[in-house]
Amino acid sequence: MTLSAPELSRYHRHIALPELGRTGQERLKGARVVVIGAGGLGSPAALYLAAAGVGTIGLVDCDRVEISNLQRQVLFDSASVGRLKTEAARERLLALNPEITVIAHTLTLRADNVLDVLRDYDLVLDGTDRLTTRYVVNDACVLLGKPLVSAAIHRFEGHAMTYLPGRGPCYRCLFPEAEEGVVASCAEAGVLGVLPGVLGSIQATEAVKILTGIGEPIVGRLVTYDALELRFVELPVTRRPDCAVCGEHPTITAPRDAGELCDPAAASRVRRLTAAALHELLAAQRTRAVFDLIDVREPREFGAGHLQGARNVPLGDLERRFGELVPGSTPLFVCRSGRRSLMACTLALRAGIEAPAHLEGGLLAWAAEVDPSLDVAAG
Amino acid sequence: MSCTIRIPSPLRSYTAGAATVAAEGATVEEVLASLERRFAGIRFRMVDEQSRIRPHIRLYVNTTEVTVLSQPVRSGDVVHVICALSGG
Repeated sequence: MTLSAPELSRYHRHIALPELGRTGQERLKGARVVVIGAGGLGSPAALYLAAAGVGTIGLVDCDRVEISNLQRQVLFDSASVGRLKTEAARERLLALNPEITVIAHTLTLRADNVLDVLRDYDLVLDGTDRLTTRYVVNDACVLLGKPLVSAAIHRFEGHAMTYLPGRGPCYRCLFPEAEEGVVASCAEAGVLGVLPGVLGSIQATEAVKILTGIGEPIVGRLVTYDALELRFVELPVTRRPDCAVCGEHPTITAPRDAGELCDPAAASRVRRLTAAALHELLAAQRTRAVFDLIDVREPREFGAGHLQGARNVPLGDLERRFGELVPGSTPLFVCRSGRRSLMACTLALRAGIEAPAHLEGGLLAWAAEVDPSLDVAAG
Repeated sequence: MSCTIRIPSPLRSYTAGAATVAAEGATVEEVLASLERRFAGIRFRMVDEQSRIRPHIRLYVNTTEVTVLSQPVRSGDVVHVICALSGG
């Protein structure tokens, strides 16, 4: 893949590096990288990949830009609000570098489409905000033999690691299982805006190194970053012989969706109450007799403001405290957004509790529709 | 014996936001028990009822991965608690 005169000028500082040189730049031009999630991590990563001259960049995201994204998602500006992220990002990347091709995949990656999306790329960069997607992407990369550069963030902390199938551990070797809700999301817990700038840049660095064949990727080395202490720690991770996807006797031989209330039969057994419906129940004072109102947020959030009559059992403690449920009543779980309370329903169903209930939209919906004076703390 | 435990971001609500706390114990199990006495409920977020490390948690003594809770801890060691993060 030869470089044109304008490209030789554009990439001069790369070509001036003996380790990378013209050959490395030509490899970047011929490379195809897909970025999963055009969010906090995907923004800086995609911008640097585009600036670096990666010839084809795929972007996977199904969301539209929200005003609350702009604090960290530097692909977008105020005029992008309301637009599809893939479309706004594509314009931004092509404005930065018209020499490249940007492909928009406006969809949610699932078991039934992940292989088709990833198949045509040389390298996968995962910056999704969904654990279920992380496992689907990891499994697909192992099955396809694709390099995966992964990062994740929470509040002031981030992780980064690179997975090269056959040459080191995969994401399931690192964390065999993790469930949405048990691991808090950024929407629930907040995130320092500049944090994904650090981790997304690490991801882009890894991608450029792997594509050009220079340096040592962070394979088998988990890099953790604490922004408050400005501290990086590196910890070894080895391949698990019993890993479900890359182990000696894999049980996952095709991508599969997991970890959510994806079983329709189970989902149908959860009673979903709107804020207005719960308000009516509380107003009629029938709730205490029928429902056991349980707030599954963290104690700090509960302390800032909660529904009258609710008691606090953080989601992480719930499994061992099912014995505290009021006998004969239906547990009614509430949280900030409805995400953790739905997870609580999943755990309750697994524990054999019939027909648990939760407040859809959480206390944010309650504050919006019923009582604006309720202080709904950030997670 | 005293060691330092590094607390991951998702569990700092138990430690009043502290990233690092001191704990006592000659094994990881004893260190976690010491931590639990100060911050009730935090141990269960890391290990289950059968004292197995949860699949979304990794523990290290310095840079050695903890596979059994009987793993020794020496004075001055750093115990790292790593929790899967989901944010992007």
